[in-house]
Amino acid sequence: MKTRFRLVAGLALAAFGSAALFAAPADTITARQANFKAMGRAMKGIMDEMKNPAPNMAVIQASANTLAASAPRIAGGFPRGTGPEAGVKTQALPAIWARNPEFRRSAAATVVATRALQVAARSGDINRVRAAFGATGGSCKGCHDNFRLKE
Amino acid sequence: MTTIRLWDLSVRLIHWSFVLLLPALWWTGEEGDLERHKTVGLVMLGLVAFRILWGLVGSATARFGSFVRGPGAVLAYLRGEAAQPGHNPIGGLSVVLMLLLLAGQAGFGLFAQDVDGMESGPLSYLVSYEQADAAREWHHLGFDLILIVVGLHIAAILFYRFVKRDNLMTPMITGRRSYDTAVQEPRMAPAWLAAACAIAAAAFAWWIAKGAPLP
Repeated sequence: MKTRFRLVAGLALAAFGSAALFAAPADTITARQANFKAMGRAMKGIMDEMKNPAPNMAVIQASANTLAASAPRIAGGFPRGTGPEAGVKTQALPAIWARNPEFRRSAAATVVATRALQVAARSGDINRVRAAFGATGGSCKGCHDNFRLKE
Repeated sequence: MTTIRLWDLSVRLIHWSFVLLLPALWWTGEEGDLERHKTVGLVMLGLVAFRILWGLVGSATARFGSFVRGPGAVLAYLRGEAAQPGHNPIGGLSVVLMLLLLAGQAGFGLFAQDVDGMESGPLSYLVSYEQADAAREWHHLGFDLILIVVGLHIAAILFYRFVKRDNLMTPMITGRRSYDTAVQEPRMAPAWLAAACAIAAAAFAWWIAKGAPLP
């Protein structure tokens, strides 16, 4: 009885595991787009405060935390088979897979930049935030220019 | 044959500024040089604001009241009825369409955010992320519409030049135009009024650039 339970449990676990590993491309694409949207929203949150004569540091810090938490998820959001061939609307270019090491380096640069932005936000110094924000936006652009469909 | 002053200096300067600024805006937008794009865009906004003011209080041939005509006048013109000096009834409609498109285009740009989340229009802080995103998409669409209307405008000028043997471009440069029949010279607005409108329009663009702060 116990063995049988273990077997069923094991099979169930294997099934769930492979479901996660072989998630439908559409789900992967939706998830990574949600992650990018969260980053876009956080970037706007910081940008709006930088336009504010009296910037709200708490908003900047929360947004910087979101960015630092989301950036490390970028690279894993692009398994093979989740490009335009998936039949879902995506702006991911085939170059992501054709030049994958370069893509991963670009994504890693964004992770570094968002961490620096988080540190700058914690310092409470708006000028440091501005500089780190520019670097973060530059790292986004660096990747978009090469790996994202131009509008 | 009578030669009259048809277009005042303001109308001509505005017209040729558009000719220079539109390619500059296209180029800076295409290249992602959004810092310059925003600066040139604000100049464009000021010029459009000036042109709208000038359409209300400026010289006779610049005023909307003189060239915005109803469908009856448009049909009569199409049937061959002679038009008064200035924009003919169809040309008048195209002026309004172009100004609306340019104003709308500047307006969407003000609220837009770029895909890198790095640059945004001076008023984007007033709208949500989704709205700023939509504004960017409208800004893209708006440029395509402007290209179509500019294309039609140039086609119309060429049609008048080579089919109707009527040169409309030279008067837009010199401000003067000759007529076979006796026509009355349109009333020109004084220079101080143009200066006042220019100051008001520049102040408006400046205020928008600063994020439209309320006192």
